[in-house]
Amino acid sequence: MDARAEADADAGGTAVSAVLEVRDLHKAYAGVRAVDGVSFDVQAGSITGLIGPNGSGKSTTIDGISGFQPLDSGTVRLGGADITGMASHRIARAGLMRTFQTVRVYERLSLRENLMIAAQQFDAAGWIDELLRTKRYRGAIAAGEARARELTRMIGLMKYWEAPTGILSYGQKKLVALAAALMPKPRIVVLDEPVAGVNPTRIREVEEVLQTLNAAGETFLIVEHNVEFITTLCHHVIVLDQGRKLSEGSAEAIHADARVLEAYLGVAPELEEAEA
Amino acid sequence: MSADPIYLLQLTLNGVTLGLLYALIAVGLALIFGVLEIINFAHGELLMVGAYAMAFALPAFGLLYWPALVVAVLASAIAGWVLYELFLSKLKLGELERSILITLALSIIILHVVQLLFTASPRIVDTQFGFEGVEIGAIRITWTRVIGAGSAAVAFALLFLVLKFTQFGRAMRAIAQNREAALMVGIRPKTVARNAVVLATALCGLAGAALAPVHLVQPGMGQFLIFKAFALVIIGGLGNIPGAIAAAILLGLVESWVGGFFQIVWQEAAVFVLMMGVLFLRPDGLFKRGAMRVG
Repeated sequence: MDARAEADADAGGTAVSAVLEVRDLHKAYAGVRAVDGVSFDVQAGSITGLIGPNGSGKSTTIDGISGFQPLDSGTVRLGGADITGMASHRIARAGLMRTFQTVRVYERLSLRENLMIAAQQFDAAGWIDELLRTKRYRGAIAAGEARARELTRMIGLMKYWEAPTGILSYGQKKLVALAAALMPKPRIVVLDEPVAGVNPTRIREVEEVLQTLNAAGETFLIVEHNVEFITTLCHHVIVLDQGRKLSEGSAEAIHADARVLEAYLGVAPELEEAEA
Repeated sequence: MSADPIYLLQLTLNGVTLGLLYALIAVGLALIFGVLEIINFAHGELLMVGAYAMAFALPAFGLLYWPALVVAVLASAIAGWVLYELFLSKLKLGELERSILITLALSIIILHVVQLLFTASPRIVDTQFGFEGVEIGAIRITWTRVIGAGSAAVAFALLFLVLKFTQFGRAMRAIAQNREAALMVGIRPKTVARNAVVLATALCGLAGAALAPVHLVQPGMGQFLIFKAFALVIIGGLGNIPGAIAAAILLGLVESWVGGFFQIVWQEAAVFVLMMGVLFLRPDGLFKRGAMRVG
Protein backbone atom coordinates (compact mmCIF):
# COMPACT_ATOMS: atom_id res chain seq x y z
CA MET A 1 0.00 0.00 0.00
CA ASP A 2 1.47 3.38 -0.83
CA ALA A 3 1.79 6.18 1.71
CA ARG A 4 -1.25 8.05 0.47
CA ALA A 5 -3.48 4.98 0.53
CA GLU A 6 -2.19 4.24 4.04
CA ALA A 7 -3.00 7.79 5.09
CA ASP A 8 -6.50 7.43 3.60
CA ALA A 9 -7.09 4.12 5.36
CA ASP A 10 -5.80 5.57 8.61
CA ALA A 11 -8.18 8.52 8.28
CA GLY A 12 -11.04 6.01 8.22
CA GLY A 13 -12.86 8.00 5.57
CA THR A 14 -13.92 10.68 8.08
CA ALA A 15 -14.74 14.03 6.52
CA VAL A 16 -12.16 16.55 7.68
CA SER A 17 -12.22 20.15 6.55
CA ALA A 18 -8.74 20.78 8.00
CA VAL A 19 -6.39 19.10 5.55
CA LEU A 20 -3.40 19.70 7.83
CA GLU A 21 -3.62 19.60 11.63
CA VAL A 22 -0.53 20.59 13.58
CA ARG A 23 -0.60 20.04 17.33
CA ASP A 24 1.83 21.12 20.02
CA LEU A 25 5.06 20.96 18.01
CA HIS A 26 8.30 21.22 19.95
CA LYS A 27 11.84 21.38 18.67
CA ALA A 28 14.94 22.58 20.51
CA TYR A 29 18.52 23.02 19.29
CA ALA A 30 21.17 22.87 22.00
CA GLY A 31 18.67 24.00 24.59
CA VAL A 32 17.21 26.81 22.47
CA ARG A 33 13.49 26.29 21.89
CA ALA A 34 13.13 26.92 18.17
CA VAL A 35 9.50 25.73 18.16
CA ASP A 36 7.66 25.74 21.46
CA GLY A 37 4.14 24.31 21.40
CA VAL A 38 2.93 25.48 17.99
CA SER A 39 -0.56 24.31 16.92
CA PHE A 40 -2.64 25.32 13.90
CA ASP A 41 -4.92 23.97 11.15
CA VAL A 42 -4.88 24.53 7.41
CA GLN A 43 -8.33 24.30 5.81
CA ALA A 44 -8.76 22.48 2.51
CA GLY A 45 -8.91 24.88 -0.42
CA SER A 46 -7.35 27.77 1.53
CA ILE A 47 -4.20 29.80 1.22
CA THR A 48 -2.80 30.02 4.74
CA GLY A 49 0.17 32.19 5.60
CA LEU A 50 2.78 31.49 8.26
CA ILE A 51 4.72 34.63 9.15
CA GLY A 52 7.02 35.87 11.85
CA PRO A 53 10.29 37.71 12.33
CA ASN A 54 13.66 36.01 11.76
CA GLY A 55 14.19 33.21 14.25
CA SER A 56 10.48 32.88 15.03
CA GLY A 57 10.50 29.15 14.14
CA LYS A 58 8.70 29.24 10.78
CA SER A 59 11.31 27.22 8.87
CA THR A 60 11.75 24.71 11.70
CA THR A 61 7.98 24.27 11.82
CA ILE A 62 7.63 23.44 8.12
CA ASP A 63 10.81 21.34 8.08
CA GLY A 64 9.29 19.32 10.92
CA ILE A 65 5.90 19.03 9.22
CA SER A 66 7.45 17.89 5.92
CA GLY A 67 9.84 15.38 7.52
CA PHE A 68 13.06 17.22 6.70
CA GLN A 69 13.83 17.73 10.41
CA PRO A 70 12.93 15.37 13.26
CA LEU A 71 10.60 16.92 15.84
CA ASP A 72 11.04 16.55 19.59
CA SER A 73 7.29 16.15 20.14
CA GLY A 74 3.88 17.03 18.76
CA THR A 75 1.69 15.54 16.06
CA VAL A 76 1.05 16.31 12.42
CA ARG A 77 -2.05 14.91 10.70
CA LEU A 78 -2.63 15.08 6.98
CA GLY A 79 -6.19 14.43 5.86
CA GLY A 80 -6.82 12.97 9.30
CA ALA A 81 -3.89 10.50 9.15
CA ASP A 82 -0.88 10.78 11.42
CA ILE A 83 2.27 11.60 9.43
CA THR A 84 4.41 12.60 12.43
CA GLY A 85 7.99 11.37 12.13
CA MET A 86 7.55 9.85 8.67
CA ALA A 87 10.45 10.18 6.21
CA SER A 88 10.17 13.14 3.86
CA HIS A 89 9.61 11.04 0.74
CA ARG A 90 6.79 9.14 2.46
CA ILE A 91 5.16 12.41 3.53
CA ALA A 92 5.37 13.58 -0.10
CA ARG A 93 3.70 10.34 -1.19
CA ALA A 94 1.00 10.86 1.44
CA GLY A 95 0.12 14.14 -0.29
CA LEU A 96 2.13 16.92 1.36
CA MET A 97 4.55 18.48 -1.11
CA ARG A 98 6.84 21.40 -0.45
CA THR A 99 9.26 23.83 -2.02
CA PHE A 100 12.39 25.33 -0.48
CA GLN A 101 13.52 28.86 0.22
CA THR A 102 16.60 28.35 -1.95
CA VAL A 103 15.30 27.03 -5.19
CA ARG A 104 15.78 23.31 -5.84
CA VAL A 105 15.35 22.29 -9.45
CA TYR A 106 17.43 19.97 -11.63
CA GLU A 107 19.25 22.63 -13.60
CA ARG A 108 20.60 20.38 -16.34
CA LEU A 109 17.22 18.80 -17.01
CA SER A 110 14.53 20.41 -19.12
CA LEU A 111 11.42 21.93 -17.60
CA ARG A 112 9.44 18.95 -18.96
CA GLU A 113 11.89 16.47 -17.35
CA ASN A 114 11.79 18.33 -14.03
CA LEU A 115 8.03 17.91 -13.92
CA MET A 116 8.01 14.34 -15.24
CA ILE A 117 10.42 13.21 -12.50
CA ALA A 118 7.88 14.46 -9.99
CA ALA A 119 4.97 12.78 -11.80
CA GLN A 120 6.57 9.43 -12.36
CA GLN A 121 7.29 8.74 -8.72
CA PHE A 122 3.57 8.46 -8.20
CA ASP A 123 2.26 6.53 -11.18
CA ALA A 124 1.50 2.85 -10.89
CA ALA A 125 3.74 1.79 -13.78
CA GLY A 126 6.86 -0.05 -12.63
CA TRP A 127 10.16 -0.63 -14.39
CA ILE A 128 8.89 -3.75 -16.13
CA ASP A 129 6.05 -1.69 -17.61
CA GLU A 130 8.62 0.86 -18.66
CA LEU A 131 10.92 -1.70 -20.22
CA LEU A 132 8.08 -3.31 -22.15
CA ARG A 133 6.42 0.04 -22.85
CA THR A 134 3.09 -1.41 -21.69
CA LYS A 135 -0.25 0.31 -22.10
CA ARG A 136 -0.16 1.19 -18.40
CA TYR A 137 3.22 2.89 -18.79
CA ARG A 138 2.18 4.78 -21.91
CA GLY A 139 -1.02 5.87 -20.16
CA ALA A 140 0.92 7.10 -17.12
CA ILE A 141 3.34 9.05 -19.32
CA ALA A 142 0.51 10.62 -21.31
CA ALA A 143 -1.32 11.64 -18.13
CA GLY A 144 1.91 13.03 -16.62
CA GLU A 145 2.72 15.02 -19.76
CA ALA A 146 -0.81 16.44 -19.88
CA ARG A 147 -0.57 17.54 -16.24
CA ALA A 148 2.93 18.97 -16.84
CA ARG A 149 1.72 20.98 -19.84
CA GLU A 150 -1.30 22.27 -17.93
CA LEU A 151 0.88 23.46 -15.04
CA THR A 152 3.55 24.91 -17.33
CA ARG A 153 0.86 26.93 -19.09
CA MET A 154 -0.43 28.11 -15.70
CA ILE A 155 3.01 29.33 -14.64
CA GLY A 156 3.45 30.95 -18.09
CA LEU A 157 6.67 29.14 -19.05
CA MET A 158 5.47 27.04 -21.99
CA LYS A 159 8.13 28.48 -24.29
CA TYR A 160 10.79 26.94 -22.04
CA TRP A 161 9.17 23.47 -22.13
CA GLU A 162 12.24 21.72 -23.55
CA ALA A 163 14.86 24.17 -22.22
CA PRO A 164 17.20 23.24 -19.34
CA THR A 165 15.91 24.97 -16.22
CA GLY A 166 19.42 26.29 -15.56
CA ILE A 167 18.78 29.09 -18.10
CA LEU A 168 15.69 30.39 -16.27
CA SER A 169 15.67 33.37 -13.90
CA TYR A 170 15.54 32.73 -10.15
CA GLY A 171 11.84 33.64 -10.00
CA GLN A 172 11.05 31.34 -12.92
CA LYS A 173 12.91 28.48 -11.24
CA LYS A 174 10.74 29.03 -8.15
CA LEU A 175 7.68 28.66 -10.36
CA VAL A 176 9.12 25.41 -11.80
CA ALA A 177 9.63 24.09 -8.25
CA LEU A 178 6.02 25.04 -7.48
CA ALA A 179 4.76 23.23 -10.60
CA ALA A 180 6.86 20.16 -9.70
CA ALA A 181 5.28 20.13 -6.24
CA LEU A 182 1.81 20.24 -7.82
CA MET A 183 2.45 17.44 -10.33
CA PRO A 184 1.06 14.54 -8.25
CA LYS A 185 -2.08 16.55 -7.28
CA PRO A 186 -1.12 16.75 -3.60
CA ARG A 187 -3.50 17.52 -0.77
CA ILE A 188 -1.43 20.55 0.24
CA VAL A 189 1.66 22.37 -0.95
CA VAL A 190 3.91 24.09 1.56
CA LEU A 191 5.80 26.99 0.00
CA ASP A 192 8.92 28.19 1.78
CA GLU A 193 9.42 31.87 0.94
CA PRO A 194 8.12 31.71 -2.64
CA VAL A 195 9.03 35.33 -3.44
CA ALA A 196 12.31 35.67 -1.50
CA GLY A 197 14.95 36.80 -3.97
CA VAL A 198 12.35 37.27 -6.72
CA ASN A 199 12.46 40.49 -8.70
CA PRO A 200 9.75 42.78 -7.18
CA THR A 201 8.13 43.25 -10.59
CA ARG A 202 7.62 39.49 -10.80
CA ILE A 203 6.02 39.11 -7.36
CA ARG A 204 2.62 40.10 -8.77
CA GLU A 205 2.95 37.28 -11.32
CA VAL A 206 3.60 34.75 -8.55
CA GLU A 207 0.52 36.06 -6.71
CA GLU A 208 -1.61 35.60 -9.81
CA VAL A 209 -0.32 32.08 -10.40
CA LEU A 210 -1.08 31.10 -6.82
CA GLN A 211 -4.56 32.67 -6.98
CA THR A 212 -5.32 30.80 -10.22
CA LEU A 213 -4.13 27.52 -8.73
CA ASN A 214 -6.10 28.11 -5.55
CA ALA A 215 -9.23 28.85 -7.60
CA ALA A 216 -8.63 25.47 -9.25
CA GLY A 217 -8.80 23.85 -5.78
CA GLU A 218 -5.17 23.72 -4.61
CA THR A 219 -4.41 24.27 -0.90
CA PHE A 220 -1.30 26.20 0.12
CA LEU A 221 0.57 26.89 3.34
CA ILE A 222 2.97 29.76 2.65
CA VAL A 223 5.91 30.78 4.79
CA GLU A 224 7.03 34.25 3.80
CA HIS A 225 8.84 37.33 5.09
CA ASN A 226 7.04 39.64 2.69
CA VAL A 227 4.07 40.70 4.82
CA GLU A 228 2.31 42.52 1.99
CA PHE A 229 2.49 39.43 -0.20
CA ILE A 230 0.97 37.33 2.58
CA THR A 231 -1.80 39.78 3.47
CA THR A 232 -2.78 40.20 -0.21
CA LEU A 233 -2.92 36.49 -0.87
CA CYS A 234 -3.87 34.61 2.28
CA HIS A 235 -7.31 33.81 3.64
CA HIS A 236 -5.89 33.00 7.03
CA VAL A 237 -2.60 34.04 8.63
CA ILE A 238 -0.69 32.48 11.54
CA VAL A 239 1.98 34.59 13.25
CA LEU A 240 4.90 32.99 15.09
CA ASP A 241 7.28 34.74 17.42
CA GLN A 242 10.13 33.17 19.39
CA GLY A 243 8.89 29.68 18.60
CA ARG A 244 5.32 30.26 19.77
CA LYS A 245 2.10 31.13 18.03
CA LEU A 246 1.53 34.83 18.66
CA SER A 247 -1.72 35.32 16.78
CA GLU A 248 -3.90 33.98 13.99
CA GLY A 249 -6.85 35.20 11.98
CA SER A 250 -7.80 36.91 8.75
CA ALA A 251 -5.19 39.03 6.99
CA GLU A 252 -7.05 42.21 8.05
CA ALA A 253 -7.20 41.14 11.69
CA ILE A 254 -3.48 40.32 11.70
CA HIS A 255 -2.65 43.64 10.08
CA ALA A 256 -4.45 45.43 12.90
CA ASP A 257 -3.00 43.30 15.71
CA ALA A 258 -0.71 45.41 17.90
CA ARG A 259 1.16 42.31 19.13
CA VAL A 260 2.11 41.45 15.58
CA LEU A 261 3.39 44.96 14.92
CA GLU A 262 5.39 44.77 18.11
CA ALA A 263 6.85 41.41 17.13
CA TYR A 264 8.16 43.07 14.01
CA LEU A 265 9.90 45.60 16.34
CA GLY A 266 7.34 48.26 15.63
CA VAL A 267 8.67 48.71 12.12
CA ALA A 268 6.18 46.52 10.30
CA PRO A 269 4.97 49.14 7.80
CA GLU A 270 8.53 50.11 6.85
CA LEU A 271 9.52 46.47 6.63
CA GLU A 272 6.65 45.84 4.26
CA GLU A 273 7.67 48.71 2.06
CA ALA A 274 11.28 47.64 2.00
CA GLU A 275 10.41 44.06 1.10
CA ALA A 276 7.66 44.85 -1.37
CA MET B 1 62.20 3.02 -28.78
CA SER B 2 60.43 2.78 -32.09
CA ALA B 3 58.27 5.28 -33.95
CA ASP B 4 56.96 2.64 -36.36
CA PRO B 5 53.35 3.74 -37.18
CA ILE B 6 52.07 0.14 -37.17
CA TYR B 7 53.54 -0.39 -33.70
CA LEU B 8 52.01 2.90 -32.52
CA LEU B 9 48.62 1.93 -33.91
CA GLN B 10 48.83 -1.46 -32.24
CA LEU B 11 49.64 0.21 -28.92
CA THR B 12 46.79 2.67 -29.47
CA LEU B 13 44.24 -0.08 -30.07
CA ASN B 14 45.45 -1.98 -27.02
CA GLY B 15 45.21 1.24 -25.03
CA VAL B 16 41.63 1.98 -26.09
CA THR B 17 40.44 -1.56 -25.29
CA LEU B 18 42.11 -1.50 -21.88
CA GLY B 19 40.75 2.02 -21.25
CA LEU B 20 37.17 0.94 -21.92
CA LEU B 21 37.49 -1.80 -19.31
CA TYR B 22 38.95 0.65 -16.77
CA ALA B 23 36.02 2.93 -17.57
CA LEU B 24 33.54 0.25 -16.44
CA ILE B 25 35.12 0.29 -12.99
CA ALA B 26 35.37 4.07 -12.80
CA VAL B 27 31.77 4.61 -13.91
CA GLY B 28 30.53 2.19 -11.25
CA LEU B 29 32.41 4.12 -8.58
CA ALA B 30 31.01 7.40 -9.92
CA LEU B 31 27.44 6.01 -9.85
CA ILE B 32 27.74 4.89 -6.23
CA PHE B 33 29.39 8.15 -5.22
CA GLY B 34 26.73 10.17 -7.02
CA VAL B 35 23.75 8.48 -5.37
CA LEU B 36 25.04 7.31 -1.97
CA GLU B 37 27.76 9.95 -1.51
CA ILE B 38 30.20 7.27 -0.39
CA ILE B 39 33.42 5.85 -1.81
CA ASN B 40 33.14 2.10 -2.25
CA PHE B 41 36.56 0.67 -1.44
CA ALA B 42 35.19 -2.86 -1.95
CA HIS B 43 34.52 -2.11 -5.63
CA GLY B 44 37.74 -3.78 -6.74
CA GLU B 45 36.82 -6.98 -4.92
CA LEU B 46 33.47 -7.07 -6.72
CA LEU B 47 35.46 -6.92 -9.95
CA MET B 48 37.58 -9.79 -8.67
CA VAL B 49 34.36 -11.73 -7.87
CA GLY B 50 33.30 -11.18 -11.51
CA ALA B 51 36.69 -12.38 -12.77
CA TYR B 52 36.61 -15.54 -10.59
CA ALA B 53 33.00 -16.22 -11.61
CA MET B 54 34.15 -16.01 -15.23
CA ALA B 55 37.12 -18.29 -14.50
CA PHE B 56 34.84 -20.95 -12.99
CA ALA B 57 31.90 -20.53 -15.35
CA LEU B 58 33.98 -20.89 -18.54
CA PRO B 59 34.94 -24.56 -17.99
CA ALA B 60 31.37 -25.28 -16.84
CA PHE B 61 30.04 -23.98 -20.16
CA GLY B 62 32.69 -25.75 -22.25
CA LEU B 63 34.72 -22.50 -22.57
CA LEU B 64 31.78 -20.69 -24.20
CA TYR B 65 32.42 -16.98 -23.64
CA TRP B 66 28.95 -15.40 -23.61
CA PRO B 67 27.09 -17.61 -21.08
CA ALA B 68 30.08 -17.36 -18.72
CA LEU B 69 30.06 -13.56 -19.11
CA VAL B 70 26.37 -13.42 -18.16
CA VAL B 71 27.03 -15.59 -15.07
CA ALA B 72 29.92 -13.33 -14.03
CA VAL B 73 27.88 -10.14 -14.40
CA LEU B 74 25.02 -11.68 -12.41
CA ALA B 75 27.42 -12.92 -9.70
CA SER B 76 28.84 -9.41 -9.19
CA ALA B 77 25.41 -7.79 -9.29
CA ILE B 78 24.13 -10.22 -6.63
CA ALA B 79 27.27 -9.60 -4.53
CA GLY B 80 26.58 -5.87 -4.88
CA TRP B 81 22.97 -6.32 -3.85
CA VAL B 82 24.03 -8.29 -0.74
CA LEU B 83 26.67 -5.64 0.04
CA TYR B 84 23.99 -2.96 -0.15
CA GLU B 85 21.33 -4.76 1.87
CA LEU B 86 23.69 -5.92 4.63
CA PHE B 87 25.97 -2.92 4.97
CA LEU B 88 25.53 0.16 2.79
CA SER B 89 21.78 0.51 3.47
CA LYS B 90 22.61 0.89 7.18
CA LEU B 91 24.71 4.00 6.54
CA LYS B 92 23.18 7.40 7.03
CA LEU B 93 23.84 10.28 4.70
CA GLY B 94 27.08 12.08 5.52
CA GLU B 95 28.71 9.10 7.24
CA LEU B 96 31.67 9.19 4.87
CA GLU B 97 34.27 8.04 7.40
CA ARG B 98 32.11 5.12 8.49
CA SER B 99 31.54 4.16 4.86
CA ILE B 100 35.29 4.21 4.17
CA LEU B 101 36.02 1.93 7.14
CA ILE B 102 33.18 -0.48 6.33
CA THR B 103 33.95 -0.81 2.60
CA LEU B 104 37.71 -1.00 3.25
CA ALA B 105 37.15 -3.77 5.82
CA LEU B 106 34.87 -5.62 3.41
CA SER B 107 37.47 -5.27 0.68
CA ILE B 108 40.13 -6.90 2.87
CA ILE B 109 37.76 -9.62 4.10
CA ILE B 110 36.59 -10.58 0.58
CA LEU B 111 40.18 -10.57 -0.68
CA HIS B 112 41.36 -12.92 2.04
CA VAL B 113 38.33 -15.21 1.85
CA VAL B 114 38.94 -15.67 -1.88
CA GLN B 115 42.64 -16.24 -1.19
CA LEU B 116 41.76 -18.86 1.43
CA LEU B 117 39.31 -20.61 -0.88
CA PHE B 118 41.22 -20.48 -4.15
CA THR B 119 44.85 -19.66 -3.11
CA ALA B 120 46.79 -16.61 -4.19
CA SER B 121 48.13 -18.31 -7.32
CA PRO B 122 47.29 -16.45 -10.50
CA ARG B 123 45.01 -18.32 -12.90
CA ILE B 124 45.17 -18.23 -16.66
CA VAL B 125 41.66 -18.17 -18.06
CA ASP B 126 41.04 -19.76 -21.43
CA THR B 127 37.99 -19.18 -23.62
CA GLN B 128 36.60 -20.60 -26.84
CA PHE B 129 38.60 -17.90 -28.64
CA GLY B 130 41.96 -18.92 -27.14
CA PHE B 131 44.60 -16.50 -28.43
CA GLU B 132 42.88 -16.04 -31.76
CA GLY B 133 42.49 -12.53 -32.91
CA VAL B 134 41.56 -10.20 -35.68
CA GLU B 135 44.32 -9.12 -38.05
CA ILE B 136 44.21 -5.92 -40.02
CA GLY B 137 47.38 -5.76 -42.06
CA ALA B 138 50.24 -6.08 -39.64
CA ILE B 139 48.06 -5.22 -36.64
CA ARG B 140 46.72 -7.99 -34.50
CA ILE B 141 44.34 -7.82 -31.57
CA THR B 142 42.90 -10.81 -29.71
CA TRP B 143 39.15 -11.52 -29.85
CA THR B 144 38.90 -11.44 -26.06
CA ARG B 145 40.13 -7.84 -26.09
CA VAL B 146 37.88 -6.86 -28.99
CA ILE B 147 34.82 -8.45 -27.36
CA GLY B 148 35.69 -7.01 -23.93
CA ALA B 149 35.98 -3.51 -25.38
CA GLY B 150 32.85 -3.98 -27.50
CA SER B 151 30.86 -5.20 -24.48
CA ALA B 152 32.03 -2.17 -22.49
CA ALA B 153 30.98 0.19 -25.31
CA VAL B 154 27.55 -1.48 -25.50
CA ALA B 155 27.24 -1.31 -21.69
CA PHE B 156 27.95 2.45 -21.79
CA ALA B 157 25.38 2.99 -24.53
CA LEU B 158 22.79 1.08 -22.47
CA LEU B 159 23.76 2.95 -19.32
CA PHE B 160 23.32 6.26 -21.13
CA LEU B 161 19.86 5.21 -22.34
CA VAL B 162 18.87 4.01 -18.86
CA LEU B 163 20.07 7.19 -17.13
CA LYS B 164 18.64 9.51 -19.72
CA PHE B 165 15.35 7.94 -20.70
CA THR B 166 14.03 5.70 -17.93
CA GLN B 167 12.32 6.45 -14.66
CA PHE B 168 14.89 4.20 -12.98
CA GLY B 169 17.72 6.36 -14.35
CA ARG B 170 16.05 9.73 -13.93
CA ALA B 171 15.47 8.97 -10.24
CA MET B 172 19.20 8.24 -9.85
CA ARG B 173 20.18 11.47 -11.56
CA ALA B 174 17.61 13.40 -9.55
CA ILE B 175 18.99 12.13 -6.21
CA ALA B 176 22.56 12.81 -7.35
CA GLN B 177 21.76 16.32 -8.57
CA ASN B 178 19.58 17.51 -5.74
CA ARG B 179 18.72 15.13 -2.92
CA GLU B 180 16.19 17.35 -1.15
CA ALA B 181 14.31 18.16 -4.34
CA ALA B 182 14.19 14.44 -5.09
CA LEU B 183 12.88 13.56 -1.63
CA MET B 184 10.35 16.35 -1.94
CA VAL B 185 8.78 14.68 -4.96
CA GLY B 186 8.65 11.30 -3.24
CA ILE B 187 11.64 9.54 -4.80
CA ARG B 188 12.46 6.54 -2.59
CA PRO B 189 16.10 7.04 -1.57
CA LYS B 190 16.83 3.42 -0.57
CA THR B 191 15.34 1.92 -3.72
CA VAL B 192 17.37 4.30 -5.86
CA ALA B 193 20.53 3.60 -3.84
CA ARG B 194 20.06 -0.18 -4.17
CA ASN B 195 19.49 0.17 -7.94
CA ALA B 196 22.64 2.28 -8.27
CA VAL B 197 24.76 -0.25 -6.34
CA VAL B 198 23.44 -3.22 -8.34
CA LEU B 199 23.96 -1.40 -11.64
CA ALA B 200 27.47 -0.28 -10.64
CA THR B 201 28.50 -3.73 -9.48
CA ALA B 202 27.07 -5.34 -12.62
CA LEU B 203 29.31 -3.01 -14.68
CA CYS B 204 32.19 -3.92 -12.40
CA GLY B 205 31.45 -7.63 -12.90
CA LEU B 206 31.47 -7.10 -16.65
CA ALA B 207 34.91 -5.50 -16.33
CA GLY B 208 36.15 -8.43 -14.22
CA ALA B 209 34.74 -10.99 -16.66
CA ALA B 210 36.21 -9.20 -19.68
CA LEU B 211 39.59 -8.77 -17.99
CA ALA B 212 39.79 -12.42 -16.85
CA PRO B 213 40.95 -13.84 -20.22
CA VAL B 214 43.16 -10.79 -20.89
CA HIS B 215 44.96 -10.56 -17.52
CA LEU B 216 45.77 -13.13 -14.90
CA VAL B 217 43.01 -13.76 -12.37
CA GLN B 218 44.20 -13.45 -8.79
CA PRO B 219 42.70 -12.28 -5.47
CA GLY B 220 44.65 -8.98 -5.48
CA MET B 221 43.61 -7.93 -8.99
CA GLY B 222 40.80 -5.67 -7.74
CA GLN B 223 42.92 -3.73 -5.29
CA PHE B 224 45.45 -3.11 -7.99
CA LEU B 225 42.77 -1.67 -10.30
CA ILE B 226 40.66 0.24 -7.79
CA PHE B 227 43.23 2.94 -7.10
CA LYS B 228 43.56 3.55 -10.81
CA ALA B 229 39.77 3.85 -10.96
CA PHE B 230 39.79 6.44 -8.14
CA ALA B 231 42.35 8.42 -10.08
CA LEU B 232 40.14 8.25 -13.17
CA VAL B 233 37.03 9.41 -11.36
CA ILE B 234 38.98 12.43 -10.09
CA ILE B 235 40.70 13.18 -13.40
CA GLY B 236 37.34 12.90 -15.17
CA GLY B 237 35.70 15.46 -12.86
CA LEU B 238 33.99 13.91 -9.84
CA GLY B 239 30.53 12.68 -10.80
CA ASN B 240 30.97 13.29 -14.52
CA ILE B 241 30.30 9.94 -16.21
CA PRO B 242 31.44 10.76 -19.78
CA GLY B 243 34.41 12.50 -18.13
CA ALA B 244 35.33 9.26 -16.30
CA ILE B 245 35.02 7.27 -19.56
CA ALA B 246 37.20 9.77 -21.45
CA ALA B 247 39.78 9.77 -18.62
CA ALA B 248 39.81 5.95 -18.62
CA ILE B 249 40.47 5.74 -22.35
CA LEU B 250 43.18 8.39 -21.97
CA LEU B 251 44.75 6.34 -19.19
CA GLY B 252 44.57 3.15 -21.24
CA LEU B 253 46.38 4.95 -24.06
CA VAL B 254 49.00 6.49 -21.78
CA GLU B 255 49.65 3.13 -20.16
CA SER B 256 49.93 1.38 -23.47
CA TRP B 257 52.21 4.01 -25.01
CA VAL B 258 54.39 4.32 -21.92
CA GLY B 259 54.67 0.52 -21.71
CA GLY B 260 55.54 0.35 -25.39
CA PHE B 261 58.07 3.14 -25.58
CA PHE B 262 59.60 3.36 -22.10
CA GLN B 263 60.77 0.96 -19.43
CA ILE B 264 57.84 -1.09 -18.20
CA VAL B 265 58.24 0.17 -14.61
CA TRP B 266 56.97 3.57 -15.74
CA GLN B 267 53.69 2.11 -16.93
CA GLU B 268 52.09 1.90 -13.50
CA ALA B 269 53.51 5.19 -12.29
CA ALA B 270 52.22 7.02 -15.37
CA VAL B 271 48.57 7.12 -14.23
CA PHE B 272 49.40 8.62 -10.87
CA VAL B 273 51.86 11.09 -12.35
CA LEU B 274 49.06 12.06 -14.74
CA MET B 275 46.56 12.39 -11.87
CA MET B 276 48.88 14.61 -9.85
CA GLY B 277 49.68 16.72 -12.90
CA VAL B 278 45.98 17.17 -13.70
CA LEU B 279 45.12 18.03 -10.10
CA PHE B 280 47.83 20.67 -9.94
CA LEU B 281 46.80 22.26 -13.21
CA ARG B 282 43.03 21.72 -12.96
CA PRO B 283 41.97 20.98 -9.37
CA ASP B 284 38.44 19.95 -10.46
CA GLY B 285 39.68 17.45 -13.06
CA LEU B 286 39.80 17.66 -16.84
CA PHE B 287 36.04 17.89 -17.26
CA LYS B 288 33.32 19.78 -15.46
CA ARG B 289 32.28 18.26 -12.16
CA GLY B 290 28.66 17.30 -11.89
CA ALA B 291 26.36 15.09 -9.90
CA MET B 292 25.91 12.22 -12.33
CA ARG B 293 26.36 14.32 -15.40
CA VAL B 294 25.53 12.17 -18.40
CA GLY B 295 26.02 14.67 -21.16
